[in-house]
Amino acid sequence: MVSNSRPTREDYYRALSDNLPEETLVVTSLGNASYLWATVRDAPENFYLEDAMGLALPLALGLAVAQPNREVVVVEGDGGLLMHMGGLVTVGAVAPNNLTILLIQNGVHAASGGQALTNAELDIADIARAMGLKHAENITSVKEFQSGLVPALKGDGPTLLALATEPDLDAVIPPAMLDPVVTKRRFMEAVGAPRYVSIFFGGGMLSE
Amino acid sequence: MAREKTMKPPHRPSELLDTLKRLGVRLAVAVPDGWLSEILVRIEQEPSMSLIRATHEEEALAISCGAQLGGMRTVLIIQNVGLLTMGAGMVSLAQRYQFPLLILASYRGTPEDATYYHIPKGRVTEPVLRGLSLPYALAESTRPIGHQIEQAATYAEEASSPFVLLLGRGDIKW
Repeated sequence: MVSNSRPTREDYYRALSDNLPEETLVVTSLGNASYLWATVRDAPENFYLEDAMGLALPLALGLAVAQPNREVVVVEGDGGLLMHMGGLVTVGAVAPNNLTILLIQNGVHAASGGQALTNAELDIADIARAMGLKHAENITSVKEFQSGLVPALKGDGPTLLALATEPDLDAVIPPAMLDPVVTKRRFMEAVGAPRYVSIFFGGGMLSE
Repeated sequence: MAREKTMKPPHRPSELLDTLKRLGVRLAVAVPDGWLSEILVRIEQEPSMSLIRATHEEEALAISCGAQLGGMRTVLIIQNVGLLTMGAGMVSLAQRYQFPLLILASYRGTPEDATYYHIPKGRVTEPVLRGLSLPYALAESTRPIGHQIEQAATYAEEASSPFVLLLGRGDIKW
């Protein structure tokens, strides 16, 4: 009987959920990356993107800078990363030690039905190291993933784990509609983000 | 006979930077432009602020959204061409999630700009902003720039929307 040589996205997500400290902030990219994570482990500390391909990583970078005392995990796809490869350069330059990038490397544009990537053979871990990330590793099994994840979440990043992944066969239906503004407000409340305080056309201030 | 005092006009880029500091902006995310070079260095030297130099304006927009998500007040500083290149992220991230981004854009390609090749970008900038339903204003050279920054920041926050202030050379070039 033929078995898949690579773990599925769900295999990795179950292991992530089992090893993730509660206070960790998680940003997920579009499509199944968000819908499956919302199914496996919905939490106020999750920020789901449903579109904006390629922008999960730079968004997570900004979040990591703003929340230096929280670990930030971002799940990005290989197609999304290729779309904004420059974002990895900026991560290397800013080098936030609290950022972990989980790259779902399935070799296809999964969210648009499995269409071919421009180049599915890149050694992304090698590229990430060249761009200045402190740690980068190619991962081919759940066991390796667990071994790589635990030290990554201890503030010694930025780290990239390139996860060899079997392409998803089906689109995941999320447990509930992901309202973008509700998602954002819920997240900001969870991290204790200061509220905006109006000043009559004086530009306002944040409450802290 | 009293000597007539000549009033030196205020240095508008300094006023702009002082206003950002007063508003509690702690992170500037930028992509370079010739008019912006010195103010970006000044921001780098400013202890209360950090500067991230992004590789692309759409990336810069997402970094700014992420920092706001984490509770930090931000400003995006770009050339107006960035308003053309960041369109997808603008609508599907910043507008869809209602991030109150303060965007300061050098307005290149206007008649005051001697660099002729910016004209194609200048002539489409405002039609594109209108097409994106993106609220914006042109900085007025006869009014203090600080107050206009405050108004732009107020608009962004109160409308839960990105807001663009298009800046002339004298507003931003140190």
